[in-house]
Amino acid sequence: MSDLNKELSEYTKNLNKASKDSNINRAITRAVKAYRDTVEDTMERHPHTPELAEEVRRIKEYSMENNQQLLEKAMQSIEKNKGKAFYAKDREEALRITNEIIGTGKTVVKGKSMLGEELQIRHGLEESGNEVWETDLGEFILQLKNDRPMHILSPAIHVPREQVAEIFTEFFKKEIPPDIAQEVAVVREFLREKYFTADVGISGANVVAADTGQIVIIENEGNVRLCTGAPPVHIVLVGIEKLVPSFLDSMKVAEVTWRYAQYASPSYVNIISGPSKTGDIEKVTTYGAHGPKEFYVIFVDNGRSEMLKDPTCRQALSCLRCGGCMYECPVFQVTAGHYGRTYLSGIGSVWTSFVDGGVEEAAPMLYTCLRCGRCVERCPMKIEVPTMVGELRNRLVSE
Amino acid sequence: MPKYFLKGCDYPNMATKKTLPPVLEILRDNIVEHGNPLALKSKELSSWAKGLDLPEKGQILYYTGGEYQLLPYIDSLVKTLTYVDPASNIFSWLMEARKIVNKTGINAEKIYASILAKDKERYFSINYQAATILQKLGYDLCYDGKNELYSGALLYELGFWKELKEYAGKVAKSIEKTEAKTIVCLSPHAAEMFKIIYPKLVDFPKVEVKTFIEMVWEKRDLLPQINYNQPVVIHDSCRMARELGITQEIRDILTSVGVTYIEPIRNKEWTTCCGGPSKMLFPEISKIVAERRINELSDTGSKKALISCPYCLSALQSGIVKDNDFVLDDIVEFLYRGFKN
Ligand code: SF4
Repeated sequence: MSDLNKELSEYTKNLNKASKDSNINRAITRAVKAYRDTVEDTMERHPHTPELAEEVRRIKEYSMENNQQLLEKAMQSIEKNKGKAFYAKDREEALRITNEIIGTGKTVVKGKSMLGEELQIRHGLEESGNEVWETDLGEFILQLKNDRPMHILSPAIHVPREQVAEIFTEFFKKEIPPDIAQEVAVVREFLREKYFTADVGISGANVVAADTGQIVIIENEGNVRLCTGAPPVHIVLVGIEKLVPSFLDSMKVAEVTWRYAQYASPSYVNIISGPSKTGDIEKVTTYGAHGPKEFYVIFVDNGRSEMLKDPTCRQALSCLRCGGCMYECPVFQVTAGHYGRTYLSGIGSVWTSFVDGGVEEAAPMLYTCLRCGRCVERCPMKIEVPTMVGELRNRLVSE
Repeated sequence: MPKYFLKGCDYPNMATKKTLPPVLEILRDNIVEHGNPLALKSKELSSWAKGLDLPEKGQILYYTGGEYQLLPYIDSLVKTLTYVDPASNIFSWLMEARKIVNKTGINAEKIYASILAKDKERYFSINYQAATILQKLGYDLCYDGKNELYSGALLYELGFWKELKEYAGKVAKSIEKTEAKTIVCLSPHAAEMFKIIYPKLVDFPKVEVKTFIEMVWEKRDLLPQINYNQPVVIHDSCRMARELGITQEIRDILTSVGVTYIEPIRNKEWTTCCGGPSKMLFPEISKIVAERRINELSDTGSKKALISCPYCLSALQSGIVKDNDFVLDDIVEFLYRGFKN
C-alpha cells in the first residue's frame, strides 16, 4: 500500500472517529439548531438582509475585478492616515514583515483571524521568541489544549464546558468548576493583565474600505477592542480579497456578514483608520494618545491572486466567512472541523486548494464533499461550492 | 520559550502525492470500457424488461441507465468492505479488489456474488413497475435494452471529465439511434446529466429530457386512488429538488391519489442529503448521514417515507437501524400499488 493510501486511510479514520465523538455530536447538534433558529429570527427582524446580500455580491464582484487598484488605493489611504501599509506575497513575506515590526522577547495579544491560522502566525512569532496570547475565548481554550479550530466562528465548538473546566483547572492551577460564567470570568481576569502589558496587538479584519483606509472588525467578546486599543502597536493582517471600494460598501459587507453569522447586531464593530492621536495641547498632533502609537496593515496574497485568475474558483474569494454553510453541511454536522485543515468543509476545500497546500493537499476534502448543494442555499454570496469541487476534482485527476 | 504553541497540533496529515485512490480508477475504467461502473453485463441489467416487449425505437425513450439495477451490487460491495475492516480501510481493500479485477479480467459479478436475492429483485422490479405505470398512463415507451449505456454521472461526480466527454459522445449516439423525441429518466442524476451537463460537453440530440415524476405529474388525474390511510413523509432528493427544481410535483401527485403527506424539518430546496454520494469512499460517514436523515423523516411521526431517487433509496435504507419499523418506498413502488388493486 502506498503512502498516499495510508494517509487517506488516516484521514478516513479521523473522520470516522470524529463522527462517533459524543462531545462533537452534542456540541454540533446544539450549534446547528441554535444557528438555524437565530438566523430565522434575525431575518424576520431584518427582512432587508437578503436583498442587501445581493448588493454585497455585486460589490464583491466589482472588487475582485478591480482588486489591484483597490489595493493601491487602500495602501495610500492608510499611509495618509499615518499608518504603514505592506503587501506580502506569501506566508514567508508576511512573517518576515511581522517579525521585523515585532522583533523578539515581546508579549503579543492576538484576536481571532482565519488568515492568522492560514499563516500559522502564532507559531511563527513564538519561534522568534515572543509570547503570544490568543484572546478570543475559543482560541484561548484551543491554545491551552494545543488543538486547532473546529469552526471558523466558534473555534472551540467541539469542547464542552466540562472539558474546559479540566483544561483551566490545570492551567490556572486552581479548581475551576464546569460553570460557563466562572470559566469566562477566570479568562477575563487573566487576559486583562496581558492586554495592558502587551507590546503588540494583532488582529485580522472582516473588510477594508479602500477610499478611507478603514479596517472593519466585527466581534462580540470585546477582546478585539482591547487587543487593538491597549498595546502601543497594532498590526492588522488581512487578505487582499477583503478590499471594497468605499466605506459605505464596507458597512454593507459587514452587516451581511454578521447577519449570516447569526447576529442581529454584534456587540462591537471596530472601525480603525490609523494610530491613536490627539491635538488637545496647542493643536499639535501627537500620536499614541490612549491607543496604539503605531499602526500597520499587512495585505496578504498567499495564493489569492491565483484564485482571482481562475474563472471557476474566483467566486470563493467573496466568501464572507460567516460560517453559515458549515451548519448546513451534512458531513460537517457529524465530523465538525475534522472535515478540513485550516479551512473547513466544502468552501474550505476550495481555499485549501489555493492558499493552503494546493489540490493534492485538498484531495481528501474535495472527495469528502457530497456535492449536495445545501450550502449554496444558505450562502449569502451564493457561492457554488459543488461546481468548484467538481472542477477541482477534475483538475486533480487530470494532472 | 513560551509554553503554549502549535507544535504537535493535530492537523490531519494529508496526501502529498498525485495518486488516485484505486476505487476511483476502477469505476472510471468500468464505465468507459463496459458502459457501467461495476462492469455488469448489459444482458443482466436489462433482464427486468422481459415480458414487456418494449420496442428499441420510438418517440418516448424509457431510460433506466442501469442505476436501480446497480445499487444492490454497490451495497453488497460496501457491506463487504465495512465487514472486512470495521475501520473502513477502503483504500487498501480496493487495492485488493483491483488485483482480483486485473487477474481475472473484469468480472464484477464474481466480486459481488454475495448480493442478496431479495434486494436484487426489489431494485430490478422498480424499473418494471415504473415502465408499467407510464404505459398505463398512456405513454408509448421504447427501451434500448441491451444497448442502453449508463449516464456517466459518476464520471462527472468524480472529476473524470475528459473521459466523460468521450463517453458522452457514445451515449448521445446510442440515444440518437432510438429516434426518440423525449427521454424519461428514472433517476434524477441521469436527468441532470442529460439536461444540464451533456449539452455543455457534446452535441446532444435535440430531445426533451424529463424525469419519471414529471411524466406522471402531467397525467396525474389518470392515476388510480391509493388506499393508504396514514400520512407519508416526503424525502426530496438533492438533485431533484435543487438542480432540477422538482418538489411541488411530488406533492401534487400524492394529492391526486388521495394520500396525505407530512413535511420533514428539512425539505424541498433545503432537503438533507441521504449520504449516498460518499458511500464508496467514506461508507461509515455515509451511513451516519443516512441515519440522521432517517431521524428527520421519522421524527414527523410518519411510518413511511417516499423516495424518488435510486441512490437516496439505497443510502437511506442503510440508515434504518435494526428494529426500527420505519419503511421506505420508492414513489414508483407506492404508485404501482394503485394499479395492482
Ligand atoms: S461560503 Fe458562503 S455561507 Fe460559507 S462561510 Fe463563505 S459566505 Fe458564508
